[in-house]
Amino acid sequence: MGEHCAIVGVGQTKHDTLRVDVSMPGLIREAVTKAFDDAGVSWGDIDAVVLGKAPDMFEGTMMPELFLADALGAVGKPMLRVHTAGSVGGSTAIVAASLIQAGIHKRVLTVAYEKQSESNAMWALTVRIPFQQAIVAGAGGYFAPLIRAYMARTNAPDDTGIRVALKDRLNALKNPTSHLTFPDVSYEMVRDSPMLWDPIRYLETCPSSDGACAMVLAAEDAAKTSPNPPAWVHATAMRSEPTMFPGRDQVNPQAGRDCAAALYKTAGIKNPRKELDCAEIYVPFSWFEPMWMENLGFAPAGEGWKMTQEGATALDGDLPVNASGGVLSSNPIGASGMIRFAESALQVRGLAGEHQVPGAKKALGHAYGGGSQFFAMWVVGSEQP
Amino acid sequence: MAAEQSRLSATHVLEYPYRRSVGPIMGRFLTGLRDRRISGVRTGDGSIVVPPLEYDPATGAPVTEFVDVGPLGVVTTWAWVTTPRAKHPLTQPFAWALIKLDGADTGLLHAVDAGSADTMKTGMRVKPRWRDERVGDIRDIVCFEPEGS
Repeated sequence: MGEHCAIVGVGQTKHDTLRVDVSMPGLIREAVTKAFDDAGVSWGDIDAVVLGKAPDMFEGTMMPELFLADALGAVGKPMLRVHTAGSVGGSTAIVAASLIQAGIHKRVLTVAYEKQSESNAMWALTVRIPFQQAIVAGAGGYFAPLIRAYMARTNAPDDTGIRVALKDRLNALKNPTSHLTFPDVSYEMVRDSPMLWDPIRYLETCPSSDGACAMVLAAEDAAKTSPNPPAWVHATAMRSEPTMFPGRDQVNPQAGRDCAAALYKTAGIKNPRKELDCAEIYVPFSWFEPMWMENLGFAPAGEGWKMTQEGATALDGDLPVNASGGVLSSNPIGASGMIRFAESALQVRGLAGEHQVPGAKKALGHAYGGGSQFFAMWVVGSEQP
Repeated sequence: MAAEQSRLSATHVLEYPYRRSVGPIMGRFLTGLRDRRISGVRTGDGSIVVPPLEYDPATGAPVTEFVDVGPLGVVTTWAWVTTPRAKHPLTQPFAWALIKLDGADTGLLHAVDAGSADTMKTGMRVKPRWRDERVGDIRDIVCFEPEGS
């Protein structure tokens, strides 16, 4: 890493099932305008734009970056589009950060979005054999057996997923951008919600959202003149592996373990649970919290569920996870990873509002995608590294 | 075994509906068509863009000023279709043309029903032929036709 990179502006839309009031460009601009206000910049200050979104089939607009160039203020500037399935929001932010770290640009706008109301992601992911590997009715059908495998492997109590969902849904009530809010949510309400893909219940799954997230990233000089406190990028890492290969551990994928190890090494972190103050983790189905706690090295293999059961991941626990309400509460797929990255930045900037983790100085942002095969992560801190 | 039988193949139709939220700018353009009104927007350099864009193509700034244009305009370029296809707007031969509506600085792509290629000319003036039941869709304009027709 050459230059230091800071996050000086963060913006999100109000995420919702159907944002009929805005077009795709309008949705993106809502997030960008908020990020610009936070960063105290305008279009003229931006050197390059990095856009991310999940598969084009989700809206049926092929290569939307082409028609979005004017809405992204990218005319006459470099524009990149990133795609790594569900992890794309994270990898997009990392690509944008690398343009700063490489000393190429002073300020980069990075933005990710999905307007899921424009089509049907579940069926877009349900192409038949032999045209695609069988993933059985969308992401839930794919991931439910992995959760069953985790339960069998660890003997985790059956209600671990319910507890994750309850915690995230309570956190979502403190976040004004949340799509799903259930003011009277309770353990019983989650437990009694319909079983969708056994063992995943309706209230243990993520919604389909329209939404966007934007960040203004800046080099050191530019960061020091920004009006609000910056978050500093301490480390980034990405790893990938194929969807299927003999002997693959899909419950605790090697790419995720390697990615976390590389991330902590760069960030100089020896004990992640102790040294990180909070984490925003990509949890589209409740049980992925304990699974990723192990994959990310916060808990020994087989014991991630204990963190959930003991309340360690709650807002008042020793490692609050998804204080924002997480993917379970808002899921504009392409943006979901960037929201994790942006929320981790908000935490160390002290700007997370009602869902602020008191005194957070160092935080993890995490995204995964595909069949648990693409991983993108960053560590951000309030102190310049 | 014949060669074609040994090749693996399978058919698969994947289809599901898409929708578009058009937003306030394109929404106003489409709604205007219902009332036989064609709206453009003014960009930062003073140009009138039709159909409208939500953001200034040069500066990225949001556009704010609507300007009604036409309904008459001038053909700036065209291509003759001798054999219309099933989804074309007209069943008889017609021209695809860029039409610069009066007051606009950009061309609107639409069909021109001119009878024959001999009557099509760059620079000719045309007027819209409106559909009887308009719903807020570009097809509310059936086509354009020569001004005097």
